Amino acid sequence: MELVMSLSIEILTAILATGLLIIGLVTPKDQRRGIGYLTTAGLLGILGATLFMNNVDKTLLDGMYIIDPYSTFFKQLFLLAAILVSVGSYDYIRRLGYNQGEYFSLLVYATLGMMILASAGDLITLYLGLELMTITFFILTAYRKKDAKSSEAGIKYVILGAMSSAVLLYGLSLIYGATGTTVIKDIAAALQQDIQPIMLLGTIFVLVGFGFKISAVPFHMWSPDIYEGAPTPVTGFLAVASKAAGFAAMIRLFIIALPALQSYWVVIVMVLAAFTVLFGNFVAIPQTNIKRLLAYSSIAQAGYLLFGLVAYSALGVAAILFHSILYVFANLGAFIVVIAFGNHTGSDEIKDYSGLARRSPLMAAVMLLSLLSLAGIPPLAGFVSKFYLFTSIIDKGYFWLAFVGIGMSMVSVYYYLVVVKVMYMGEPPEDSEPIKLPVSIQAALYVTMFITVFFGIYPSPLTNVALSVAKAFFPF
Amino acid sequence: MLQNYAGVGVFFLIAAIFPLILLATAWLVRPKRPSPEKLSTYECGLETQGPTWVQFKISYFLYALIFVIFDVETVFLYPWAVKFQALTLFAFVEMIIFIGILVIGLWYAWKEGALEWL
Repeated sequence: MELVMSLSIEILTAILATGLLIIGLVTPKDQRRGIGYLTTAGLLGILGATLFMNNVDKTLLDGMYIIDPYSTFFKQLFLLAAILVSVGSYDYIRRLGYNQGEYFSLLVYATLGMMILASAGDLITLYLGLELMTITFFILTAYRKKDAKSSEAGIKYVILGAMSSAVLLYGLSLIYGATGTTVIKDIAAALQQDIQPIMLLGTIFVLVGFGFKISAVPFHMWSPDIYEGAPTPVTGFLAVASKAAGFAAMIRLFIIALPALQSYWVVIVMVLAAFTVLFGNFVAIPQTNIKRLLAYSSIAQAGYLLFGLVAYSALGVAAILFHSILYVFANLGAFIVVIAFGNHTGSDEIKDYSGLARRSPLMAAVMLLSLLSLAGIPPLAGFVSKFYLFTSIIDKGYFWLAFVGIGMSMVSVYYYLVVVKVMYMGEPPEDSEPIKLPVSIQAALYVTMFITVFFGIYPSPLTNVALSVAKAFFPF
Repeated sequence: MLQNYAGVGVFFLIAAIFPLILLATAWLVRPKRPSPEKLSTYECGLETQGPTWVQFKISYFLYALIFVIFDVETVFLYPWAVKFQALTLFAFVEMIIFIGILVIGLWYAWKEGALEWL
């Protein structure tokens, strides 16, 4: 019974997902509007329940499952992202006109997969969570089944996702072969004596597998095409939550299980981070489609997040936590604007955003603040989180990497401001009218805007939470 | 560690070579008298009809998927049923939940027309 209580968050999420599927089955086709609202309400309830779990620190099922402040922090992050995405999906999914119950059910199942990923204390649980998340995303990506681009994105994601899972699984099997255990804590203990070459090979394979999941260069090729083809709310969820989930598992695995090999993997992670930041920012410049632009910018953001792993310190982990939660709000703010704009005009091209400031001041303002926060301009929250990330690596003496990061942040300001220029300086099309937003979207936009500005001006409450979680998590 | 795997390796090699030896022996011993009739494609004793690259109904795939789900269910049910006497009420409830989830899946597949042969 105690086990059931400890797993209550996951169980509630599973019940919500299955319940939504059943409700979708029993309600008539034209009365499924309420399912979206029910999803948001259910997720809010679960988010409320996680607040009681903040100080729980337990290892369940012989180390297979860990519920600690670190995993709870990430679960809250996934739930926040899922809530924002579900709010952004109402109109989009209603326009599609089919399978509304399944969409929201799959969204919650993906969230459940991420939760398992963040809590996994064992390589097999980790893989299980990863597959639950990835397979759900395959379906969500191909959700616009009559659209060739969406189907293409789905097929691409299936093939590349399967390949990266295979690489990851091979690496995990090599680690198991070398240490004789799949429990993350026991792996570290088994590595105390000597390190076999096969262990290094396993680590590299695992790193490549995670590189795919978080779309680090050179394993990023899948992401722009899939982000462009997928339904926009799914793209937002994919860019924010699935990436954070990949990081949650990766950090736990590399810091808890493989500290003995730190001197080896840190070099690779450092090179990956530098390439990811350079490539993501430079290739974002010539993009003309807003979804592709945000895809490349999210590749660059993954690079910044990798800095925290390079730092290999409590401050680095805290910076990752802080950056990823603000990234949720900034990026989903931008994506909700893209969703609402796409619903209204049916276009994702940047040139069509011309004069948006006059057609909808709220949308333009949220886009502006979100993009500037992603670029790291003070006094927005993105500045504070990047500041912590760069501080964490400068503390360890990696000045060149910090310079790359700061330089590329400046490059990113350019392409973000190109969008802003189109929105504010451009003329709206002649036959255009003001864009009316549904109340739910307006609420979501105000929330993201408020959080992005609030934690930029007054970051200490969130910083303290992130630091205390990271200190409890980081073993040294 | 490596010695343990050597046994597996030897086993693997023998398993790979053995069918090759069989095929080679048969190839050496058998009489060879080919005729056009003998070399034609064999299809259950009938004349072959039409090209092989035809489209299959996707429904086969759906049936196979649903079959696999219930196949796996049996795999889980079997050890549970064998040990049923020794298990607690908790295990019984667990299995009911498990079957319940699968039934929802079947219900969904049914309602969405996966079981209909159009």
